[in-house]
Amino acid sequence: MENKRWVISLIAVWTGVIVLFLYIPIFSGILSSFAKSRYFRFPVKAWSDKWYDETLGANLTSDLHLTSFYVAGCVALIAVVLGFFGALAFARYDWRGRRFYQRLIMLPIFFPQAVLGLALLLWFTYVGVLPSWEAAAFAHLVWIVPIVTLVISIQVYGFDAAQEEAAYDLGANRWQAFREVTLPALAPGLFSGALFAFLLSWGNFPLSTYTTGADSTVTEWLYTKMTAGYTPMIPTMGALSVFGAIVILFGGYMFLIVRRRRRLERGE
Amino acid sequence: MADAVPILRMVNLTKQFGRLVAVNDVTLDITEGEFFTIVGPSGSGKTTLLRMLGGLEKPTAGDIYLRDERVNGVPANRRPTCMVFQSLALFNHKTVGQNIEFSLKMRGESRRARRERGLSLMKLVQLPEDYYDRSVTKCSGGERQRVALARALASDPDILFFDEPLSAIDYRLRKLLEVELKDLHRTTGKTFVYITHSLEEAMVMSDRIGIMQEGRLIQIGSPNEIYLQPRNKFVSEFMGEVNTLAVQAGANGGIDCPDFDRSFTSPARPEGFAAGYLVIRPESMRFLSDPSEAENHIAGSLFNEYALGSRVQYHVSAGDMMFVVEKLREQAYQGALNDDVLIGWDAKDSVLVTD
Repeated sequence: MENKRWVISLIAVWTGVIVLFLYIPIFSGILSSFAKSRYFRFPVKAWSDKWYDETLGANLTSDLHLTSFYVAGCVALIAVVLGFFGALAFARYDWRGRRFYQRLIMLPIFFPQAVLGLALLLWFTYVGVLPSWEAAAFAHLVWIVPIVTLVISIQVYGFDAAQEEAAYDLGANRWQAFREVTLPALAPGLFSGALFAFLLSWGNFPLSTYTTGADSTVTEWLYTKMTAGYTPMIPTMGALSVFGAIVILFGGYMFLIVRRRRRLERGE
Repeated sequence: MADAVPILRMVNLTKQFGRLVAVNDVTLDITEGEFFTIVGPSGSGKTTLLRMLGGLEKPTAGDIYLRDERVNGVPANRRPTCMVFQSLALFNHKTVGQNIEFSLKMRGESRRARRERGLSLMKLVQLPEDYYDRSVTKCSGGERQRVALARALASDPDILFFDEPLSAIDYRLRKLLEVELKDLHRTTGKTFVYITHSLEEAMVMSDRIGIMQEGRLIQIGSPNEIYLQPRNKFVSEFMGEVNTLAVQAGANGGIDCPDFDRSFTSPARPEGFAAGYLVIRPESMRFLSDPSEAENHIAGSLFNEYALGSRVQYHVSAGDMMFVVEKLREQAYQGALNDDVLIGWDAKDSVLVTD
């Protein structure tokens, strides 16, 4: 008993240290966004929220976020559709050439993104596509679709194909079987696939930097400002992302709770 | 089954996957209201046969008739049959009620009618009413079986197919469900076609049994016929532990056993029997105190004994063979291991089979 308590407290300390290690950079970023001075110093001597006023007040901020949002939103939507069918081919059906396909689809993931971005820019120029946020979304897809395919494949592997057969056997046609059985059964995979796609696109810099052209995403702006002309708007922008993520996560959680409660009330 | 109307007929039914012949020239009539079980080891083609009957697989050759209508190309969703899958294939994202009512929803029945039917089916398969809104993932193994059964029954199909649904269930529950399934067959009066690799399971439940080996249906008969008159060595050994002696037709209607350099009295010989096997069930073997107590005898020594609850099983080594003898517990052999023993049987308790 004595021994066990000792082990448990050791695990607790270890876990705490790891969490601290992961969160300190984020926390110090947020801390510096509240500092008054132009340059980040530790310990912080004077506090202020003026950088928030400035950041939120700037037209630039909403433009950047909108661009990032357009790109990530389009990428998430398209990647989930492509990844879904890709995953069915990857994990659900057995066909000639499947093994080759399974390896081929991994290739873009391992390709260094900076090189991939440049290659895509050259290719876009060659076929006459102007660099823009749409082109960036396309570039992101090249890298993100394979990842989403893998994420959804995991769900597809766990899906008992006999469920589809059972649905046919119980009188469903193909569309009904898909809508009633396959899609809901794979929904958690599609959701995590979409989430992955959105976040990977939102945080992507190497592909965006080559392909957005005149448009600029949040990551691009952060990078540019960090290399030339630091302002505390940088940590402020980062902190805003963190707050946004917290709001979205919490909101999503609340949504799930409310939905479950409603379902129970309706007796479904 | 006085006037035997075949509800389901298979004529020279064959299924090939590339070069592999999974089902080979099967011809069989299944009678309305019958509990028919197809038994075979894994890879014998029984699942493929069942999937063709259910419309999940198309035959390569031959025909399937459902009430005299050829249904070869009719897909599963337009056949008046329903299957209980090996994995049960329950819709895990749905509740017990939604699973059971699935076929009714596909037909576009109203929510109220569905619920009514669903609850009455739950009663039939002995599921408590408050399970209606429970997720199927929260059900135990036995409860999931019942949900699958109710779901298959919901559309009121003419025939129910079962693809080894009890194979993953522990022994005690399986025994209970076997009995329940047979009772359900009686109360619903539907035609059940069941497949399993366990002849024991088939024996308990079926009106008739078909034994499958390498894609062919090699024997069809009542459980008793198959138990007492196995057609070949495969069937006899599939029945469980038996004593099998290689024999040849001998002089004066006897049979010669070269392994023991002896002649035994012969049971009824199959027509044209020249060489094959003499099969003696363990419970037909007796311990003898004198050779004259049975028509045939063999001397050996008691190798080991195994308590089987109501019975005791003995292994007796004689020559290169190990004989199996089974006695009721009250009639257990009184003696020690390594005793020299005499075991014997009468011709009427043995069967001659060929390869």
